[in-house]
Amino acid sequence: MRNQIRERIGLLLLYLVLIAGAVIVITPLLYAFATSLKTSAEVFAVPVRWLPTVAHFDNYPAALKQGPFGRYFFNSLFVATGVTLLNLLTCSLAGYSFAKHRYHGRDILFGFVLATMMVPIASMVIPLFLVVKAAGWLNSYWGLIIPAGTSALGIFLMRQNILAIPDDLIAAARIDGCGELAIYWRIVLPLIGPALSSLAIFIFMWNWDSFLWPMVVATRDQYWTLPIGIAGFESSYGTNYPQMMAVANMAMAPVLVVFFILQRNFIEAMALSGIKE
Amino acid sequence: MQARSRSPLRSAGWWGFAFAMPAILLFLAFSLWPILNTFYLSLFKYDLLTPKEWVGVRNFARLPADQVFLRSLKATAVYVLGTYIPVWGISLALAMALNAKIKLRGLLRTLYFIPPMMSMVVVSVIWKLMFHHDGLLNTMLMQPLLGHPVDWLTDERWAPVAIILMSIWKETGFYMVVFLAGLQSISSQLYEAARIDGAGGWALFRHITLPMLKPTFAFVTIISLIQGLQAFIPQWVMADGGPNGATTSIALLIYRMAFVWLKMGPAAAVAVILFVLVGAVTLIQWRLQRAAS
Repeated sequence: MRNQIRERIGLLLLYLVLIAGAVIVITPLLYAFATSLKTSAEVFAVPVRWLPTVAHFDNYPAALKQGPFGRYFFNSLFVATGVTLLNLLTCSLAGYSFAKHRYHGRDILFGFVLATMMVPIASMVIPLFLVVKAAGWLNSYWGLIIPAGTSALGIFLMRQNILAIPDDLIAAARIDGCGELAIYWRIVLPLIGPALSSLAIFIFMWNWDSFLWPMVVATRDQYWTLPIGIAGFESSYGTNYPQMMAVANMAMAPVLVVFFILQRNFIEAMALSGIKE
Repeated sequence: MQARSRSPLRSAGWWGFAFAMPAILLFLAFSLWPILNTFYLSLFKYDLLTPKEWVGVRNFARLPADQVFLRSLKATAVYVLGTYIPVWGISLALAMALNAKIKLRGLLRTLYFIPPMMSMVVVSVIWKLMFHHDGLLNTMLMQPLLGHPVDWLTDERWAPVAIILMSIWKETGFYMVVFLAGLQSISSQLYEAARIDGAGGWALFRHITLPMLKPTFAFVTIISLIQGLQAFIPQWVMADGGPNGATTSIALLIYRMAFVWLKMGPAAAVAVILFVLVGAVTLIQWRLQRAAS
């Protein structure tokens, strides 16, 4: 009896803490949404106005008129997609190489790949800028996509997954006269489908949100990605809070929609990096 | 011997090498070459417009007396420790709570995972409104608590706190999911056996959960330190590095020095310091982990 009461109280406390946490998580988002529908005068009204008297959805089209957001959106989508496709190719190829092939210097190459993981972008951004400038890639999609074309974590994840494929399967295919490219394409890739989709989600998210590199490469706003467009909007129209929040919500919406559809994969993709370590 | 070199395995070796090449070439061009060049550039005076001028280690020799640099070191340390120590504690606690069999578990997990999904720039913009003088935090929290509003983003003492609070909000969900994955990999038989031996809640946590989570802790600490040392988006968007440099992190300083002040050499010197810091953290972590296992 006494134990039961203690358990009940414990459970109640647990729920209280969890719900308090959920409220803290959700409040800024609701606040941003409510603000996007207010008039400027209502934003800081005293006492606090949670909801606008009239929902001003016209803040959204008005905000979009302040800058080429369609262009920024397209740039983000295009760059993140290009980087993701390139990564799927380079990471799976390299992962296959490190997992299933034997050649001199393989382990050194793999060690080199892992070592690049700890180099901060900010530490190499200056020469990277000079390299891309020398290649004539400033203000171009090449400059935004190619330098991000592979990732050490991606190679590591691919290698871990390909290691689990039985050697015999690959050896049998070789004996049957299957070419190396065909083995990679017809046997290895189909077997690591789930890992590939996790990697795709990962890389896409990182690059959808990448900021420092596009900031350096794209000096003209024609090539700005969405985060830079938003930061730019913030510095010129940031005090127009309803419109600012409208822009923020529109940028957030596609990510949230994709997240709710694919949330299992998202969370697994995130956890993957933790478990496999 | 001739026949051997044409054996399937051997030729497959060449293919293996070729398969690694796209990635390796990209790393050589866009990681190794730039980082070596950062070291090289750090020995020059260079403003992009006039030719480089050799200055030896002068860019480094100036750093210990450079107030702007020292302040950025402090700002970064405050940010990393202030953000991640609470994040580790809260995310572990949330993970343990959500690992219990409770209702709404899936919904709560999804909710907590929203902030880490969001763009850092978008989050910064939203929190800038939260921290506004007449924003929600002042009217709902500080006014009742302290009796007066706080200049979150324009007061040197509060700006770092504001950025830390926002980062805790943004990052906790990610580490919660990582801890949750770690917790779920612990066999429930371990707990049952210990319970039969009469172990209470605290003993279970202390002697089973914590030791079994060691690999997760290793991952979490290393990722958060590496990320924290490089952070600059909220500092930039919310406070523009100010007031008085209180939120100018090292990464933000490098960007400013290089691309705003066009001091490529000194900026490269700071970039070298950042590289060494991250490298040192990684090595220490790696050593500790090896010593532990």
